[in-house]
Amino acid sequence: MTETTMTAGGAAEIDQKRKEAYFTASQRQLIWARFKKQRAAMIGAAVLITLILSGIFAPFLSPYDPTLAGRDKEYENGAPQIPKFWDENGFSWRPFVYTYERTRSIKTNFRWVSTVNRKKRRYVVFFPQGDPYTLFGMTFRTHLFGVDKGKIHIFGTDSTGKDIFSRTLHAINTSLAVGTIGVFIAFVLALIIGGISGYYGGWIDSVLQMITDAVRTVPAIPLFMAIAAFIPSEWSSEARFFFISIILGFIGWPTLARRVRTHLLTERNQEYVLAAQLCGASASHIIRRHLLPSFTSYIIVDLVISFPYMVLSETALSFIGLGLRDPVNSLGVMLQNVSQADVLLNYQWYFIPVIFFMALVLSFVFVGDGLRDAADPYSDTRK
Amino acid sequence: MLQFARFTLIRALLAIVTLLIVSFIVFTLMELVPGDCAERYLAFKNTQGNVITVQDIEAERQRLGLDKPYLVRWGRWVWNAFQGDFGDSCILRVNIAQLLGQKFWLSLGICLTALVLAYLIAIPIGILSATSNSALLNNSLRFISYLGLAMPNFLLALMIMLFSTVVFGDSLTGLFSQEFRDAPWSYERVLDFLSHAWLPIFILGWSATAFAIQTVRALMSDEIGKLYVTAAAARGLSGRRLLWRYPARHALGPVINSLGFDLNRIFNELPVVALILTLTDAGALLIEALARSNDQQLAGAIIFLLTASIVALNFLTDVLLAITDPRVRHSILR
Repeated sequence: MTETTMTAGGAAEIDQKRKEAYFTASQRQLIWARFKKQRAAMIGAAVLITLILSGIFAPFLSPYDPTLAGRDKEYENGAPQIPKFWDENGFSWRPFVYTYERTRSIKTNFRWVSTVNRKKRRYVVFFPQGDPYTLFGMTFRTHLFGVDKGKIHIFGTDSTGKDIFSRTLHAINTSLAVGTIGVFIAFVLALIIGGISGYYGGWIDSVLQMITDAVRTVPAIPLFMAIAAFIPSEWSSEARFFFISIILGFIGWPTLARRVRTHLLTERNQEYVLAAQLCGASASHIIRRHLLPSFTSYIIVDLVISFPYMVLSETALSFIGLGLRDPVNSLGVMLQNVSQADVLLNYQWYFIPVIFFMALVLSFVFVGDGLRDAADPYSDTRK
Repeated sequence: MLQFARFTLIRALLAIVTLLIVSFIVFTLMELVPGDCAERYLAFKNTQGNVITVQDIEAERQRLGLDKPYLVRWGRWVWNAFQGDFGDSCILRVNIAQLLGQKFWLSLGICLTALVLAYLIAIPIGILSATSNSALLNNSLRFISYLGLAMPNFLLALMIMLFSTVVFGDSLTGLFSQEFRDAPWSYERVLDFLSHAWLPIFILGWSATAFAIQTVRALMSDEIGKLYVTAAAARGLSGRRLLWRYPARHALGPVINSLGFDLNRIFNELPVVALILTLTDAGALLIEALARSNDQQLAGAIIFLLTASIVALNFLTDVLLAITDPRVRHSILR
């Protein structure tokens, strides 16, 4: 008897605590609690974090240098090599791939013909020393995996013998970097323009909105193309990279600016703004210290949502040949290689980066959607 | 009636102002390209063996009006552009309006067809998915929509080309068969065009449909929970009658409003699709003008025309919305 009342009391106490936690929770905690409930968004977040980490640690995770320096002269346009544990020659605890031998003789009409030598195994080793790379300002030689003799290409190689797996990981890194810089520039512009427009209202707002709408009406990709065409072809790949990111930012701001403005328009009539104004705070101080923090979470959500569009735009631009070019490894460049008829028919493994690309965009979209639902305090009450 | 005329007039004025701003952006971009038309034209003459002096360049500048101030040149360009004259391309040395002419209308036709198809598919499916409780249907539709977003359309085009090359032995590229390429319009040519145009229409419509389903679904599920729907149901309406008469009418207003931006999105994909399918439309010309020859007059004209058609569509949808929805009319007039 007493036992049951005690547990009931305990349950009530836990319930009380949960309620207290709910009512005293910060905005961030509430968003996280709602975000956790969405399975698709959580899976998206897991995939996204994995991809971001593999992008950041690309030099370590990839067995070879993704540039010409790390190419495999013996294995051009080579098919993916899948590590095995056993074959007709016996079982091995250590996974292995076969050795590919290239020969050229009068018999093959002096063309290179590669054959698989199933007798010669190449065993997979972990943490071997390989091509040097810099990560966080330090130089390393250790890679995650490799083989004891020769080279391993789990996604195959391209026409110059570059390892597609290594290229893909580095490409994720580049595409994320382009997107980040682009989103950042768009974000700063949006904050300034949307902030001024929303805070002052009136005719300033009308004029700025007209300009924003006009910019929004111009189709973005043709406009990207028009600007990207200015890049002199003799620019280095790094310069191109930064220029492309800046263009993406300069064209991506209107949508964000509009949202910032809408938030500000609703917030600026609140009492706390009036209080700050009466205390003599300047306009920029009120925007920065009072208004913007009131919807930081919404801005973060908007940033995540606009990210995949940046990546998609970069890809489209590089695909047309106006964006990044071949020595740089970006997802757009990788996809550009896919479009040749030869590849379509003979070297289908060029398509493997496409899967990563789609996973990246999809996970961003899922996370963005989940965050948007989580940040919306009314999402629970709606159907 | 007078109110309506005033509303239309205001909207038309706004559209023209938007176009002016856009034309300023486009014109500025064209001007930023290093080297002007006179230099390019004479550089070409130079390759033909003529000796060119500085005076020649200056004379050419004067002839083309390039010595006038920036704003004057912009005004002249806009004035001509509104009359459909974009001047000559200084690389190809032909009249741009002539060069673009039919190609632009073909591209616009393809894009608009894709847009119409997208909504013909998306509206019923979106409404269905908003009203049904089937988790399987909803989740699979959601997934397809996301795939439409994440799968770049050039990839879709490549897949279809790969498939058709392997299966049919025909890569399905181009807009016309060989024999119809430069032929005048005839019944056979139209048929030939249609037999080629379905692929770009399908590819352009694919992601547009995915987006449209999402929009329709979101708007519809917002409306369906509202009280007036419950009230209508309480009065004995049910099924399709209820859906189409009450929530759908409200939900489709914003959809009509967003048509312009959907067209914008389709235009974004036009050049890439044109490149893969080796079409000979405006998208292909744009790539040609920008990526290969840096022909700013042609590129500027194309971007301006694309934007102008979006602005025109926005204007039309605004007027259409005002006809169907008096609330919009009054909100503008107050």
